[in-house]
Amino acid sequence: MKEIKIAYKTSLNNFHLDVEFEIPNHGITVLFGPSGSGKSSVLNHIAGIDDQSDNKYSKLVLNNTVYDDSTKKIKLNPWQRKIAYVFQDNRLFSNMTVQKNIHFGHKRRKSTLDVNEVIEKFRIKDLLQHYPEQLSGGQKQRVSMVRALLSNPELLIMDEPLAALDYQSREELLPYIECIHKELTIPVIYVSHDIKEVLRLADYIVVMSQGKVIDKGELASLCISQPLLTQAEGASFILQGKVEKIFSDEKLMQISCENQSLFITGEDIKSGDDLRILIHAKDVSLCLTPPEDSSILNCIPVIVDSIKDKTNGKYEVTAKLGEQLIVAMISYRSAKALGLEEGKSVFAQFKATAMIK
Amino acid sequence: MELAPILVTLKLASITTAILLILGTPLAWWLSQTRNRFKTVLESVVALPLVLPPTVLGFYLLMALSPNGFVGGMWSYISDSPLSFSFTGLVIGSVIYSMPFVVQPLQASFEMVGKPIQQAAYSLGANRLDTFKNVVLPLSMRGFLVAITLGFAHTVGEFGVVLMIGGNIPEVTQVLSIVIYDHVEVLEYQQAHAYSAGLLVFSFVVLFITYSLNKKLMVRL
Repeated sequence: MKEIKIAYKTSLNNFHLDVEFEIPNHGITVLFGPSGSGKSSVLNHIAGIDDQSDNKYSKLVLNNTVYDDSTKKIKLNPWQRKIAYVFQDNRLFSNMTVQKNIHFGHKRRKSTLDVNEVIEKFRIKDLLQHYPEQLSGGQKQRVSMVRALLSNPELLIMDEPLAALDYQSREELLPYIECIHKELTIPVIYVSHDIKEVLRLADYIVVMSQGKVIDKGELASLCISQPLLTQAEGASFILQGKVEKIFSDEKLMQISCENQSLFITGEDIKSGDDLRILIHAKDVSLCLTPPEDSSILNCIPVIVDSIKDKTNGKYEVTAKLGEQLIVAMISYRSAKALGLEEGKSVFAQFKATAMIK
Repeated sequence: MELAPILVTLKLASITTAILLILGTPLAWWLSQTRNRFKTVLESVVALPLVLPPTVLGFYLLMALSPNGFVGGMWSYISDSPLSFSFTGLVIGSVIYSMPFVVQPLQASFEMVGKPIQQAAYSLGANRLDTFKNVVLPLSMRGFLVAITLGFAHTVGEFGVVLMIGGNIPEVTQVLSIVIYDHVEVLEYQQAHAYSAGLLVFSFVVLFITYSLNKKLMVRL
């Protein structure tokens, strides 16, 4: 499998950036971390628009093409890289119509994509003759995505493209970003510090903090090992499922996951959509028999996989739900009372409101 | 009323503005982009005509342009006409004197366009020249409009420098402002009035057109 190799060591006003990592050359890789962790600097390095002259070490290899290698004094200019950039502040050309904006890159790089199809997909046909200042924030960002895509990129990088938008526009835009990923098969590096975006989009995650990569991997395993990602106390986990049914009057969704039905509050997702739910381990309890009259809607049979002593009076219990893992934070006393051990069948309970989607 | 001073003035202002656009655009661009430590030095030099009395500038120009001066000496080496008290000398003086009125608005508008928009163009496959031509220039139209107007109008209105280096040779270096001065000095107020009022109306019309255009451009940019 092809990979993207990225390395960047530099210093700027006492801020030291020192990263070296590889990511898969497909799907959406989220570069996650608090603001000031150096995510945007890494993106600018990838795009070749960092104006640092004192790079100590830098490297970028994409599809076996060396874009940047400080040891060999190679550094391609930004316009020579087949990398398109979607900026947080859209950066549309204000003197050009939408039509001219999206043709700017297309004209110069001969996209193999069908222009009309992309215009159709991103629903900007009615906007083509407008100038950027006549568009809403969400529309501008949609246009800027189309502009980037039509420049025929082998890699698309996005720097918090939703951060400057209101909640409504964000929700509107997320499906378009998913569409880039699913239908256009262009690898994407997406910078974010919003766990909700991560849940919706991420296939692979690189977690950054203070100029360093502190963890990377698939979403499911990172949630368990990396509290920084979920901003929760202790572990969290992901369940993947499909929306089965929506009870609009109760604002409740029924989700099928490993042949079990889960309930989660909310109704803003379409029936039949894939869904990832994040649950904090501290919100999960275990029991031996399902309670008959509890307010907790979700009670699912699981098999204990491992028990980790967190030495603070709690065990982190990992259990299997089919192919997926759940994690529960259980006190020493409860664990003893239930007689927990590997391979034991128990029921995991969590509230319909304990989940983030 | 003679036509010659008007023609000399318009010719001088047009040539000066054209030269200033050719020289000033790259200079303003460099100043807007560089982080070189000589930037401030150069900015100060460009701005000097704004604060110096025209006589000071005129005096040094006279020294430099005279056949014994550095520039004038070289000039008389390659051509047999002197540089001081010639139209060419006047153009050189005007270019220096009106430089800040062209360079500063251009630099400001280039800076307004900013690096981020250029980076966006780069990431879409446009190299530096392409970006400058197709993104920066169109976005700087207002800066050019202001630069052209101010450069032209300021050259039309210059007096001190011309007086020092131009000589006041009819049909060669005699410009409007000098003619007015001459008329006033010999108490020919009526002639002075004719030229002065003409210049006043002309200046107003030029500025009015510029500001109207500027407003129109603002809607788009």
